[in-house]
Amino acid sequence: MKKTEYIKLIDTTRCTACRGCQVACKQWNEMPASRTRNFGSYQNPPDLQWNTWTLIRFQEHVDKNGDFKWLFRKDGCMHCTEAACIKVCPSGALYHTEFGTVGINQKLCIGCKACISACPFDIPRFNQETEKVYKCDLCYDRLKGGQQPACVLSCPTSAITIGEREAMIDKAYRRLDQLGGKGVVYGDKFVGGTHVMYILSEDPAVYDKLPVKPRIPASVILWKNLFKPFTLIGMGAVAGMAALHYLIKGPHEVHEKKEGDE
Amino acid sequence: MTNHYIDLKNSDVILIMGSNAAEHHPLAFKWIMRAKDAGARVIHVDPRYTRTSARCDYHVPLRSGTDIAFLGGMINYIITNKKYFRDYVVNYTNASFLVNPDFSFKDGLFSGYDAKKRSYNKETWTFQNDANGVPLKDPTLEHPQCVFQHLKRHYSRYTLEKVSSITGVSEENLLKVYEEYSATGAPDKAGTECYALGWTHHTTGSQIIRTMSIIQLLLGNMGIAGGGINALRGEPNVQGSTDHCILYGNLPGYLKMPTASLATLGQYLKKNTPTCNDPQSANYYQNYPNFFVSWLKSLYGNAATPENEFGYSWLPKLNDGKHYSQLHLFDRMYKGGVKGLFAYGTDPAVSSPNTNKVRKALEKLDWLVCANIFDNETASFWFGPGADPKQIKTEVFLLPAAATMEKEGSQSNSGRWVQWKYKAATPPGDAISCGDIQIRMMDAIKALYAKEGGPNAESILNLKWDYKDRQGNMDVLKVAKQINGHWEADVEVVDAGQKKLFKKGGLVPTFGMLRSDGTTSCGNWIMSGSFGEDGENKMARRGKEDPTGLGLYPNWSFAWPVNRRIIYNRASCDIYGRPYNPKKKVLEWTGDKWVGDVPDGPWPPMADKEKGKYPFIMKTDGVASLFGPAMAEGPFPEHYEPLEGPLAKNPLSSQLINPTIELFSSDVDQVANASEKFPYVCTTYSCTEHWCSGALTRWQAWLLEMQPELYVEIGEELARELEIANGSKVKVSSARGEVTCIAMVTKRFRPFIIEGKTVHQVGLPFNYGWLYPKDGSDSTNFLTPSVGDANTFCPEYKAFMVNVTRI
Amino acid sequence: MSGKIQNMVRVTDPIERIAHWLLAGSCLFCLFTGLGIMFRSWEFIPELLGGLYAVKWMHIFSGVVFAFALAYAFMMWKKDCAFEPDDAKWIAQGGGYLWKTNNLPPVYKYNAGQKLFFWFVVVFGALIVLSGLVMWNPTAFPIAVARWSYALHALSALVIGSFFVVHLYLGTIGNPGTFQAMTTGWCSRAWCETHCPRWLAEREKGSSES
Repeated sequence: MKKTEYIKLIDTTRCTACRGCQVACKQWNEMPASRTRNFGSYQNPPDLQWNTWTLIRFQEHVDKNGDFKWLFRKDGCMHCTEAACIKVCPSGALYHTEFGTVGINQKLCIGCKACISACPFDIPRFNQETEKVYKCDLCYDRLKGGQQPACVLSCPTSAITIGEREAMIDKAYRRLDQLGGKGVVYGDKFVGGTHVMYILSEDPAVYDKLPVKPRIPASVILWKNLFKPFTLIGMGAVAGMAALHYLIKGPHEVHEKKEGDE
Repeated sequence: MTNHYIDLKNSDVILIMGSNAAEHHPLAFKWIMRAKDAGARVIHVDPRYTRTSARCDYHVPLRSGTDIAFLGGMINYIITNKKYFRDYVVNYTNASFLVNPDFSFKDGLFSGYDAKKRSYNKETWTFQNDANGVPLKDPTLEHPQCVFQHLKRHYSRYTLEKVSSITGVSEENLLKVYEEYSATGAPDKAGTECYALGWTHHTTGSQIIRTMSIIQLLLGNMGIAGGGINALRGEPNVQGSTDHCILYGNLPGYLKMPTASLATLGQYLKKNTPTCNDPQSANYYQNYPNFFVSWLKSLYGNAATPENEFGYSWLPKLNDGKHYSQLHLFDRMYKGGVKGLFAYGTDPAVSSPNTNKVRKALEKLDWLVCANIFDNETASFWFGPGADPKQIKTEVFLLPAAATMEKEGSQSNSGRWVQWKYKAATPPGDAISCGDIQIRMMDAIKALYAKEGGPNAESILNLKWDYKDRQGNMDVLKVAKQINGHWEADVEVVDAGQKKLFKKGGLVPTFGMLRSDGTTSCGNWIMSGSFGEDGENKMARRGKEDPTGLGLYPNWSFAWPVNRRIIYNRASCDIYGRPYNPKKKVLEWTGDKWVGDVPDGPWPPMADKEKGKYPFIMKTDGVASLFGPAMAEGPFPEHYEPLEGPLAKNPLSSQLINPTIELFSSDVDQVANASEKFPYVCTTYSCTEHWCSGALTRWQAWLLEMQPELYVEIGEELARELEIANGSKVKVSSARGEVTCIAMVTKRFRPFIIEGKTVHQVGLPFNYGWLYPKDGSDSTNFLTPSVGDANTFCPEYKAFMVNVTRI
Repeated sequence: MSGKIQNMVRVTDPIERIAHWLLAGSCLFCLFTGLGIMFRSWEFIPELLGGLYAVKWMHIFSGVVFAFALAYAFMMWKKDCAFEPDDAKWIAQGGGYLWKTNNLPPVYKYNAGQKLFFWFVVVFGALIVLSGLVMWNPTAFPIAVARWSYALHALSALVIGSFFVVHLYLGTIGNPGTFQAMTTGWCSRAWCETHCPRWLAEREKGSSES
């Protein structure tokens, strides 16, 4: 199967936070709305949810020059190359598609929630009723059908665009040039490169809930790369040693006392 | 818009003022971003830092209601620093015209003010004419009585210091905007302005727009690519609505409603048909009789004959000096003077000002007919909060209406592009389009009149009313063709030197061929040409060719008038027809014709003294008005405070408020100006996620999820003072009413220093009503006053005074 | 000498055996289902048990049983498994299992090796239960706690599993005559003299004095 890796580029310097993407995602994926309250921000729902796979985060920020900036960031699955969630998923519900994106097959999900803790971006969300986890799948069905993801199609200012990997990374850096270097390209330098990238106007550390150096958690590496194989290796080695002991040293026999023995 | 959406990409400086374009016109922003990509500067002037500000090069906050002061300061800057485009100003505006020496301006009032009537006698607002009745001119612009010098004197009062003190904008920021924007006075630079309700929703709204028009004319920005005055209209079809005369004072195509004193057609036409003695002025409205008579013909069909003045006497007339805006409507209704109301696709119980007054007024109706997609606060007023159904005798009907995607028809965007669209879904249940509702209703009314007779029966009985298809439903194409216009007889016309015979029943190709002798009919003259003679529906065209590269797309839909994409485009060339900016040429005179966009008049450029005409062909004098006597408040815009503001005195004059606005005086029309009880300036607006009253969008779960309930945006400084925490419940109150809502404490509102004092401003969206969701709060318009612009009566939703308290 | 010297000695009560098998059974079942969850290629396990979702719940249920059984086992055997100074000497000589020794200190009830096994199972068993509880509802805990629970759970399984193999060997073919201690509860007197002489002596002294 011919593999074409796509990257979805989110240029926050073009985003007007209209949230067409937030609604388009819900519409395409037939996700219901939740009843929300205004907690003092335009941001709603307040966080990603099982039925909210993408969310525009609003952030009022005063930069080091004292200038006020209202930052908008479209949060959602980053579709990592080195995906922690795929690494920990016991059922294979999370997997890499032919586009490099992280797909999710709800039929296989057993609701163990391991992916939730593993994700360096805190993306997957659990539904109590269906006992399954949900996240953006970069409109896998639309990509397969040669269509753009719903969010890309909905964006009025083309802040969200999609294309082949190399071309998009190139586009991101050209945009950075166009901005006079005032900004950051985010996503090509960790977890093997993410298939969702950002052009940020500020340093990544400024943004709410955006890890500066995301990586697969050390605990996951230890678990999957070390403890997991050693479970079998360990038990096997011990069994082997026990077998050798039996053959070489032999069993610890008990000597029965017979009548008349002293 | 004088230009159109895609044209925004051609601009060098875009001033967004009186608009929150990114939030309310997100697709327009696509083109603004393209302009930015090409190196344009985008400036946002708005009391509040919004999602628009985030994408502009910078944001300048100003106090609500002080736009004329801000822009007046810019006029002063442009004139003082000679940033104006002299060639353009001299040739294409009335800057050189000499004004009547009896005209004057003193201490906030122009000559001719009648304080009792709150209006002006405009007889001094005229020009000095020569023997031929053509205005005297001084092309050097030096004559003390020329318009230019009047303009200069008038705005010399708008010093940086004064403007800063009125608007709360720092002198630094004022200069920043003035410098940047006035640089577009250069011939090869284009500046454009985008405005919306941030400008129209003021008692001085029309004059704010006028001030900007003056700036655009001084800078030579009208008629060029990337220029113009660009009103961003409401969706889906506010442009279409106003084009087809939803406003009480208009007839289709912005013709004038007749008043009662104009008893005959002749008197009406004389009043409304301008005359001009300057042979170089096209004075295109001299063809007014053609448009009006053709319209009468479309209304009354064969019943309209020359003998009965084409049915002119059957038309309802406005009472002289009386107005019928929604403000007047609800005032009269409140006083028990209105029996019945049709409220189609509207929710005035939420969206009209002074909600208490509106809801009490509705209770006085004998009957109310609403046609909507969903139930709303107006249709359900009789069981709303504070309403006792037992005491209310109104008979209420709620007719289910089809939504926009459930009907075929045209939709006009702000750029005047009339785009034909098709039906995408069948309306559910019994819902039908408003067109179908009207047809059935009128059929029944006609039948009743035929049976029972009644006053003005001819008005009804003679109405041409054959717009049904074979199934009995509205025949949209038939209506559209009637709007385009038909030949009512075989007519021979000379067109471009050729004789052509048009047969009766055929489609009129353009309004230029309409006649006032009853041989043409036309439902809306500006739409003439929307069909080709062969019946092609030009509104349905989807050609993607763009030969000029300016984004005109002449084969995509139909733009009125006559598919002209940029209005007054002959002003983009000098008097010889050479484009001022050859790199972005909208038009060019090749020696025998214009090439590019559809020219604003086929006549040669005005340097041709014999056949050439001035470019502003719809203006009587052929040139644009710096001096504009048609406005109620005066020929030059002047800053007046909002009806309800923080100041007891207007810093510029003794005239605190607009001297010509109508004041309503019922017991619920309370006003508290410069009051300690209501110390904060308040403005209202919408949000991207809801539409107007929210009567459509509050029912849409995905939209409601994003903006679930009413909030007041309040600056951190004020919130600290009042000890209000972000996300907490507060009460906002005015002299007229109150609402409960969530406090959104933000850095995006900062306090202003006005006349040396700190003045805080807050803002609320108006998208919520009690009907749904139950706990989302009620109408913001409990707070707003019943007052409107002096020319249009557009309500002053954007500047009044409130108090905010913790709950 | 008046007192009976029996050929067979009862070394465990019924309750001890029940607790042991509950503990062992749940532990083995947890191990089995756990491996089925951990190793995606071992599809035969979820196939056998009715799907991975079912396996998850079986694992959790079994884990709860394990937790209670472990708690009971701990209460029951902690006294007899308390370490004494001689245990160090026993360990230093490999308990006589690895090379020939002649200086082994006499064991009371359980030798140092058995005691070590007990404590490893208690500690890592507790860790595996606690980490398992976190994994049951990870979002109720701080993310660092949640993340490390998975690693800890795997590590504990590794440790318990390895120790179990030793326990299995030494409880069956490695020490003939031992297995019946956990089935009938009766072992031969000679076995007791070899494996728990001090306990035997105390018991016989007691009965002879009665």
